Amino acid sequence: MSQKEVTSKRHMGLKAANRVSNTAIYILLTIISIVWLLPFVFILLQSFRCETDRGMVGYILPKVWGFDNYIKLWNSDFRRWYINTFIIALVSAVLVTVIQLCMSYTLSRFRFKMRGPLMRFMLILGMFPGMLTMIILYRVLADLGLTQANAVPGLILVGFASSGMGYYVSKGFFDTIPKSLDEAARVDGTTRLQVLYKIILPLAKPIVIYTILTAFMGPWGDYVFAKYVAFGTSAGYNVAVGMYSWLSNDQIGNWYTTFCAGGVVVAIPVTILFLCLQKYYVEGVTGGAVKG
Amino acid sequence: MASVKLTNVKKIYDKNVVAVHDFNLEIHDKEFVVFVGPSGCGKSTTLRMIAGLEDISEGTVEIDGEVVNDLQPKDRGIAMVFQNYALYPHMTVYDNIAFSLRLQKMPEDVIYEKVTNAAEILGITEYLMRKPRALSGGQRQRVAIGRAMVRDSKVFLMDEPLSNLDAKLRNQMRSEIILLRQKLDTTFIYVTHDQTEAMTLADRIVIMKDGFIMQVGSPDEVFDMPDNLFVAEFIGAPKMNIIKTKLVCEGGKYYVTPFGAKIAVDGDKGKELANRKAPGGDILLGVRPEHIQLATAADHAIPCTLVVDEMMGSELHLHVDTEDGTRLIVRVPTLDLDKDQRKTLVAGAKLYITFEGKAMHLFNPETEKNLLT
Repeated sequence: MSQKEVTSKRHMGLKAANRVSNTAIYILLTIISIVWLLPFVFILLQSFRCETDRGMVGYILPKVWGFDNYIKLWNSDFRRWYINTFIIALVSAVLVTVIQLCMSYTLSRFRFKMRGPLMRFMLILGMFPGMLTMIILYRVLADLGLTQANAVPGLILVGFASSGMGYYVSKGFFDTIPKSLDEAARVDGTTRLQVLYKIILPLAKPIVIYTILTAFMGPWGDYVFAKYVAFGTSAGYNVAVGMYSWLSNDQIGNWYTTFCAGGVVVAIPVTILFLCLQKYYVEGVTGGAVKG
Repeated sequence: MASVKLTNVKKIYDKNVVAVHDFNLEIHDKEFVVFVGPSGCGKSTTLRMIAGLEDISEGTVEIDGEVVNDLQPKDRGIAMVFQNYALYPHMTVYDNIAFSLRLQKMPEDVIYEKVTNAAEILGITEYLMRKPRALSGGQRQRVAIGRAMVRDSKVFLMDEPLSNLDAKLRNQMRSEIILLRQKLDTTFIYVTHDQTEAMTLADRIVIMKDGFIMQVGSPDEVFDMPDNLFVAEFIGAPKMNIIKTKLVCEGGKYYVTPFGAKIAVDGDKGKELANRKAPGGDILLGVRPEHIQLATAADHAIPCTLVVDEMMGSELHLHVDTEDGTRLIVRVPTLDLDKDQRKTLVAGAKLYITFEGKAMHLFNPETEKNLLT
């Protein structure tokens, strides 16, 4: 066997080994994704089940298909809950994003007395679980008249009140943008605010998207605070609290498939948001870490 | 076009760290002034105070007769070029240059004319639609200069604009800045740590150390008549040789006695010493490497041993040790050496050196001040 043949055989061996290991990895990943996707497929299928029994059943594929559950959903309290949730999530997302980005920019660019202690204080404060504040928060909201039927503004307040404390990620990202850009812009004639929205934010697009997404997702999927603040008044429920009420023992037989339909409807805006913004989202989560 | 006047300007940071002490300087209209000094000497801080990017702790800065201490950078009539270019990465070259004009709400056709005009002067017309990341270092620096040019500002500030470029490009850009200055004909304040840039560009050089001005003068003045030891060593490359020796006066004539030799201080310097009736005694003698010549064994020649020879192309830098171990640098033009002579100049060779009295600089060893200024 010539030297050339020996070399080419060795190369073939490497290729074959790569192929085998890749195949094994792909099979494993496929299995994991099937397991992971199954509950979602299950919910989607159940939402189209239109049999007389609207409770839980022991099979996956519906025997009778239709949109009855979605129609029932539309005509139920769900519409109110959905609008409630959407308002809370949207308003919180806007307020949280504005506050958090301003806070991050300030902490990244300005040097003022007590800046260090303030940052440390917020770090320590952030280590306590938010749940600890539940009782006192309820007290405050109740005194302000922002509970039960008025839970929506109450939950918006809860959503953005401490949002400045979540400055870490975006401040870290802003820190990686050279200060001389701010200075050049200020010499060029911008105000501090113009520096933020004309120079820094376009450069920090991934982190802005990340902030909007996380700020929206929090209230969108909130259950504990929402349940507590609405306190048994359906008009103040968000989707999570409202839909959960369908799962009680006396309701589930009637509402289970509608619950599944609700789950699908709840997932739609978040899925669209993620599909549109996922490119930036990945950059945002990893960007601050590696750019420095 | 404007003058800039700094009166008793001080910069004090938290914890009483003083970065700039009592800075007084008047920069005339259309003058090119270079602040030069080692890192941490306060030159950039001073420039940034003029630009309005740092608060002025004490004193006043005037531009064109107006005190600007409390004005925003944009209201001071300045343009600035930064060391790291500070181009806006998300904008094209055109938008970068047009940015300040758009903020002034200038009509687009005027902006177009100004931007293309600046681009033409700087030779970046073909890159106008590119983003900064697609440009080389030299091109980026041109864009940064273009961005400052279109503002038609009264004062042009440059903070180490060439430091990020490689040596060859730096030389090229340096001559381009000289040409640019002729075209713009405005007041320039330029900060650098590179004495070559300072010498080649400046009308006047301000040499700084630890927040103090050490000397202000034309390139000729600071080179020929350094006020103090720091300036003497800082300006000129390789740096000036400093030798501890004595000044003696015999019969109205002054001599220095380095390494047992006796060299007359002649020329204007000798006359000036005599006029001042300077006392003899310990001094620090400064001799620039280019003012030392190779000699043959003679009465006043100083014997020494060659330690390192650096071939620089047009000249040879010889590092020699005298008998008492003092290290000196001698700069010899290669044209002055014939082939055989060059061959003998290798480490370990014994040499004789000498220098002329008129090329000497004399410093007080305690105050480090020039005896003749």
